[in-house]
Amino acid sequence: MGFSFKPWLLSVMGAAMMAVQPAAAQETLRIGAPLPLTGPLSPEGLKQQRGYDLWAETVNGKGGIEVGGKTYNVEIVYVDYESNTPRAVQTAERLITNDKVNFLFAPFGSGAAKAASSVAERYQIPMIAATASSSSVYDQGYKYLFGTFTPNQTLTAPLTNIVADSGQGVKTVAIYARNDLFPLAIANEMKASAEAKDLEVVSFAEYAIGTMDHASALTLMLQSQPDWVFITGYINDLILMRRQMADLGIKPKVLTMIAGPAYKEFIDATGPLSQNVTSAAWWHPAVSYEGKDLFGSTANYVKAFEDKYGATPDYAEASASAAGAILQLAIGDAGSIDPTAVRDALAAMDTVTFYGNVRFDETGQIDSLEPPVFQIQDGTTKTIYPEAVKQGEMRYGDIQ
Amino acid sequence: MVPAAIEPTRYSMLYAQILLNGLVLGGLYACIAVGFSLVWGVLNVINILHGSFVVLGSYIAYFAYVHLGIHPFLSVILAGGALFALGYVVQAGLINRVVGAPVLTTLVLTFGLDLILNNGMIVAFTADYRTVQLAHPLGSTVVGGLVLPLDRLVAMLLACVLTVILYFVLVRSSIGRAIVAVRMDREAAALMGVNVKRIYAITFGLGALMAGAAGSLLSLIFPISPLNGSEFLGIAFIVCVLGGLGSISGAIVGGLALGAIQSFGALLIGPQHGLTIAFVLLIILLIFKPTGIMGRRGYE
Repeated sequence: MGFSFKPWLLSVMGAAMMAVQPAAAQETLRIGAPLPLTGPLSPEGLKQQRGYDLWAETVNGKGGIEVGGKTYNVEIVYVDYESNTPRAVQTAERLITNDKVNFLFAPFGSGAAKAASSVAERYQIPMIAATASSSSVYDQGYKYLFGTFTPNQTLTAPLTNIVADSGQGVKTVAIYARNDLFPLAIANEMKASAEAKDLEVVSFAEYAIGTMDHASALTLMLQSQPDWVFITGYINDLILMRRQMADLGIKPKVLTMIAGPAYKEFIDATGPLSQNVTSAAWWHPAVSYEGKDLFGSTANYVKAFEDKYGATPDYAEASASAAGAILQLAIGDAGSIDPTAVRDALAAMDTVTFYGNVRFDETGQIDSLEPPVFQIQDGTTKTIYPEAVKQGEMRYGDIQ
Repeated sequence: MVPAAIEPTRYSMLYAQILLNGLVLGGLYACIAVGFSLVWGVLNVINILHGSFVVLGSYIAYFAYVHLGIHPFLSVILAGGALFALGYVVQAGLINRVVGAPVLTTLVLTFGLDLILNNGMIVAFTADYRTVQLAHPLGSTVVGGLVLPLDRLVAMLLACVLTVILYFVLVRSSIGRAIVAVRMDREAAALMGVNVKRIYAITFGLGALMAGAAGSLLSLIFPISPLNGSEFLGIAFIVCVLGGLGSISGAIVGGLALGAIQSFGALLIGPQHGLTIAFVLLIILLIFKPTGIMGRRGYE
């Protein structure tokens, strides 16, 4: 009975497939993406997933990737590694050996990306890291790892140069950092950047994760009357602190906060207190690049993202989409999906995307990207740097 | 950590300011903790829901302000009333069924209910941080060289007023006397004709009311998100152990002590260690005076 049943079923399935698919036979390009979809890092993992999904949908919506006489639909194979780094490494290996993925997107952050990069190297599968900024991820001599975040100091040095050279008499800096991996690293880079420009760091304090009151620390900070207050933390820390600064009447000439003001939520939550707060991120929807990638321009990308998710993309989401767009460009340059050819194309890449200029240094980390410095002026975010995408002049004082 | 540049005359001002910061914070801490202490003291239930009740109170204040223009100081009544009703129903419908069981059973029940309430709030309100932005904030003023953040100060004073009202309710009203009686001896109170289950429900409702009222006041100060529930619960826990369980004065002393310890700890050892010091003191206290600063004498 089974034998008489099968041909009938197959013919129906075949007809169904003919109806759905375009005339040309399509193959599937599989990209493995181990992500922390559950656990403490899940908000970040879900952001990356949104970025990848938008890219994959856009590619497939435009008929896939044509290369070497074939057309490939993109399929992203997600595996949840539960915010557990060792599992991220196992997952990356399983994606290569079991799921036979053609390429990899790295797990979240510097630590997990570094751990998984050894697997990609061993199997010679190109891996693009969308959220790893630490230089120590890239200086292992690996050939198959590429990253779309510049090193941390690229977030602090341009702003320091602008402020120090402004002639506004900014001489002293107070730094206040969340005692957490990325916020503390950025604060240390800020200290180095400030000292390099002969600014005096009058205080450098840390606060614990989960701190619900900053009055004492801010009262102390007020004693040294800093010209520039530089604070790192996540959005809830920064909203709370911004309000307590206003309560205590701390009004420096320059107030910089990383990494909350990149989100629109920060402006909504602080209202007039957001006035003239400066920040920096690897990307911001306010920048504008005419790219050679599938999204075309920053504005197109932002619109596509808003249409799909009803929200403005942030730098992590954009970086994930950019990882896909860059991989696609490299496949085009290589003229094949052969891992080694694509790896060479990535290494030789020098182009522009919606995300910014894309060129990787010899370690594989992007070195062409100029992370924008921006300032919230009258409730909207204005890019101050780099010159090419500048929307306004840096303002001093007028901190509420 | 005190900058060497400060001249000696300014030290006293600095310390006074730090003390003020600590006391204002401590008053708010006391208000967070007092309902938690009441429920723990009377029902012997460690109410893991308490932090989420505070957050729910904040959301009520937030939406009342955004949609109806009601100032959070006034939505204390709204949030308190709503949370009382919720607390009463939860206790009468669920917790009363297991209230005689070992403390671990009620702990697990309230833990489970907290997961439901907290995740329910994440689904309903998202985990995004919101804040109440007053159209006319009171701002801050300087009195004798001390900066007084007025909104915070008024919130703290209102918190103290609420706590005092709760105290008088327990001491003067017949319901209050019944709660105290149940707290002292459940069986004896039942023999005297007190409906113990109803008193439990009212007590849990009052605990939730205080949480909701505190949440409403805190909506002016802290960013609002379901993720803060566990922070508030942690504070309530430390304050209760520090001050002593089951008494309102204990919650006040514990709250003010925690606020002051955190503030001076931040000043003397560094802001990253403020909480560490509070916990170290907690451990010392548990070793040498396990009943807390104010002992454990009931609501008399």
